[in-house]
Amino acid sequence: MISFELNGKTTEVTVAPDTALLWVVRDHLKLKGSKFGCGMGLCGACSMLIDGESTRTCVLPMAAIQGRKVTTIEGIGTPDMLSTLQSAWVEASVAQCGYCQSGQLVSATALLRKNSNPSDNEIDEAMSGNICRCGTYPNIKKAIKQAAKDLGEDSGQLQMVAYFDPNSIQQEA
Amino acid sequence: MTTSRSSDIALERKGVNTTRRNFLKNMSLVGGGLVVGLPVTGCANVLLPNAHESVLQPNALLQITSDNVVNFYLPRSEMGQGIYTGLTTIVGEELDLDPQQINVINAGLHEDYKNTEFKLQVTGGSNSIRTHFLPLRHLAANARLVIRQAAAQQLNLNLADIQTDNGKIMIKGKALDYGEFADYANTLPFPEDAPLKDKHEFKYIGKDNRRLDGVAKATGTAQFGIDVDFEGLCGAALKRCPIMGGTVKSFNDSDAKGMPGVKSIVKIHNGVAVVADHYYQAKNALPKLKIQWNLPKTLSKFSSDSTAADNGKGLFKTALDSDNATNVFEKGDGLTALKHAHTVISAEYWAPYLAHATMEPMNCTAKLADNRLELWVGCQSPELAKNLAAYYAHVPAENIIIHSTFLGGGFGRRSESDFVAEAAAIARASNLPIKLCWSREDDLQNDSYRPASMARFTVSLNKAGLIDSWTVKRAGPQLMPYAIDNVVDGIMPSILPNSLVDWMSKAGYRLYNSLLVDHTSVEGLYEDYDAPHKSSDHVTADPGLPVGAWRSVGHSYSGFFKESMMDEIAALQNQDSVDFRLKHLKNNPKLANVLKVAAEKAAWNKGLPKGHYQGVAVHASFSSFVAQIAQVSVVNNQLFVHRVVCAIDCGLAINPGIVKAQMESGIIDGLSAALYGEITLQDGVVQQSNYHDYPALRIHKSPEIDVVIIDSDEAPTGVGEPGLPPIAAAVANAIFAATGTRLRSLPLKLEG
Ligand code: FES
Ligand code: FES
Repeated sequence: MISFELNGKTTEVTVAPDTALLWVVRDHLKLKGSKFGCGMGLCGACSMLIDGESTRTCVLPMAAIQGRKVTTIEGIGTPDMLSTLQSAWVEASVAQCGYCQSGQLVSATALLRKNSNPSDNEIDEAMSGNICRCGTYPNIKKAIKQAAKDLGEDSGQLQMVAYFDPNSIQQEA
Repeated sequence: MTTSRSSDIALERKGVNTTRRNFLKNMSLVGGGLVVGLPVTGCANVLLPNAHESVLQPNALLQITSDNVVNFYLPRSEMGQGIYTGLTTIVGEELDLDPQQINVINAGLHEDYKNTEFKLQVTGGSNSIRTHFLPLRHLAANARLVIRQAAAQQLNLNLADIQTDNGKIMIKGKALDYGEFADYANTLPFPEDAPLKDKHEFKYIGKDNRRLDGVAKATGTAQFGIDVDFEGLCGAALKRCPIMGGTVKSFNDSDAKGMPGVKSIVKIHNGVAVVADHYYQAKNALPKLKIQWNLPKTLSKFSSDSTAADNGKGLFKTALDSDNATNVFEKGDGLTALKHAHTVISAEYWAPYLAHATMEPMNCTAKLADNRLELWVGCQSPELAKNLAAYYAHVPAENIIIHSTFLGGGFGRRSESDFVAEAAAIARASNLPIKLCWSREDDLQNDSYRPASMARFTVSLNKAGLIDSWTVKRAGPQLMPYAIDNVVDGIMPSILPNSLVDWMSKAGYRLYNSLLVDHTSVEGLYEDYDAPHKSSDHVTADPGLPVGAWRSVGHSYSGFFKESMMDEIAALQNQDSVDFRLKHLKNNPKLANVLKVAAEKAAWNKGLPKGHYQGVAVHASFSSFVAQIAQVSVVNNQLFVHRVVCAIDCGLAINPGIVKAQMESGIIDGLSAALYGEITLQDGVVQQSNYHDYPALRIHKSPEIDVVIIDSDEAPTGVGEPGLPPIAAAVANAIFAATGTRLRSLPLKLEG
């Protein structure tokens, strides 16, 4: 049995220790916000915060997360309680197909946690692990800068969800 | 959605005709109220996932329920291009309701959702906004009128006294919800001729509205096909022949059977599938399968090694040199013109096979029970998907329900239904509800690729240095023969035995390829510029790798070919690239205009930073006109694209923010192709497997992009694709300006 903290809640699973975290979260724990894009740590669609760092979870075995803190997109904000970054994202209409966006938001959240006022180069560096095939990069930059500004004016929060209740999710089709 | 019952208005109401109401209750969508469609072709015998069980199945695009929910059943697939927002904006405008208040539902499959241009329910050709602009406006305007009529009758007032404001009926300063009158409105004859708004009255069209799918996509709650889940759903993975088109000769699954979670192993038409409790378990078991394949004959012999004389590019070159070409377009007398030419310039260009590499790998969920098949899938072509699934699941097409989801990227890939066919076949063979998921490797190695193409231009100039004749010949595979394979499989099976259908689809390929030219093979190669004499030929060169529509289709290579050629001519004539183009755009004023606007915005060849160079390209496609100017630097053979200026004329921009985003998207997608994109084969096996050897442009390589949208009163035209075709040439032309080297092959490789 492997025990870790998922979106503020202690979670225990019994799976083969080499199972990738992504599949445990998506298929066993039924949180579908984190996506499968490449399975090789190349695209960032599966990014989650592990102890605050944006991490590729398609290649991260469960054995490596025993006792660690995992935050998925669901643990950052919800449609009714958007984080400041998510609000900026919605305001800038960043998403196109949307598939890479959870991963982008996770990486951007990790960036703003460490750096409240990132430069263009710092944004590039922090976000270059996340591919967007739709090419939303210009709007991603815009939204990150807006969020940094909003956070700087002390009018926001990077993470809205302290404890996430998996039963609360509703998917929009 | 808030419901505000305005009971404070004491107005006498007429009752609602209950007989009619009961009838509607039997046939209408969940929620009832006003239900209207477009065009109402009668009740096709197709199940709608959103309908009550009943004999009659309604078509509906728009529904206003009595508790004031306005549902818009989106008849096209949202894959990033923004029609979820765009079509809803059109509806909201004429309904006089903020699009943000409209509940958008990804509609299933229905006769009445057919694409009027393709005669099939397909999302493609950048035509969703263009083909829906007027019909949806009329529908919504008529709906608004009937609600006003209902209010007038129920409240005994004159129609003229009933105005609307953002989803409310306004009477004497009081506001009543549309929903209050929905049931009554449904008993009235639906109007046909409500006047449309003037452009200056628009509140939502042409304004910068937020995307309506933005919140769902920023919170991970938007449902993609891959997210579909329900109790008992199994994961499936499929091992296909390493060479596309191969079939299973024999297999041994004894090692795979014992793998964790494995429930069933089945052979289907193109491989062996493992079904397990979870997808990752099925995927883990695949390498344990031992399979002998029947290899496809032609493709197995093909390698992309361009140094060998008789294969790779050689195959295309031989085709170009042959006399087998079919003439596609002819104007004037090019041959005679050539004889009298002052100057003749000739050049050859190459564009490789490309994969789509949508962010969401292909997937489809299939549940087969009691001769009924339910599918959950994000696809561009649900109608073909249904027919193909019927064939592979051996279920009558009318017993298939398709639940549509968001698409994690389309780019043309999801207009194919091969993955739906596989899911249907696996569900049938395993007798389990399954979600088939592709790996990235599956995706890159089993695509319907952008056809590799080679083109040769021969252009003659008169004494004045103007183009006299423009001749172009293109060699490469054609899309249509491959599409026929699927269409025949999909449409014929209800009346013909399977073996006959298979034969017809193969014969269809041969028949088609020898007789006809698919216009997408040559589109964009000859149309844009003025020339007294023009001719365009096609010759098929096809090693047998399946091809399909790839964002902007033929324009994806013709934009590069034609615009590179134009630049070569200008350079050889010592003419400015912008001026030279303008001289040949006298009959193409919109393309000339976007070129001028872009040149001005980019400060063409004026005051560039040291070491920076510009390149220009223009291209018309999908009824839109685009000019792009790329600003690059080349240092130690390293290319950097710093900035791209883009001007587009797409008629009236419904959502300018989305038009801008689609230009950025087309440019970035086009840069991935221009800088890296190349699918190669070795003995028929695709060599690329994941994003490490088939890279996509990342944020740190993404240029600054400035988009100018031409102000226009004309009807809207395409935006999903037209932003892509010019970019490769704009960059190649900038590289020429920087280095004097003309790169005639994609991807653009600087020797170093
Ligand atoms: S799915 Fe994990 S990095 Fe691509
Ligand atoms: S929004 Fe489609 S891949 Fe990023």
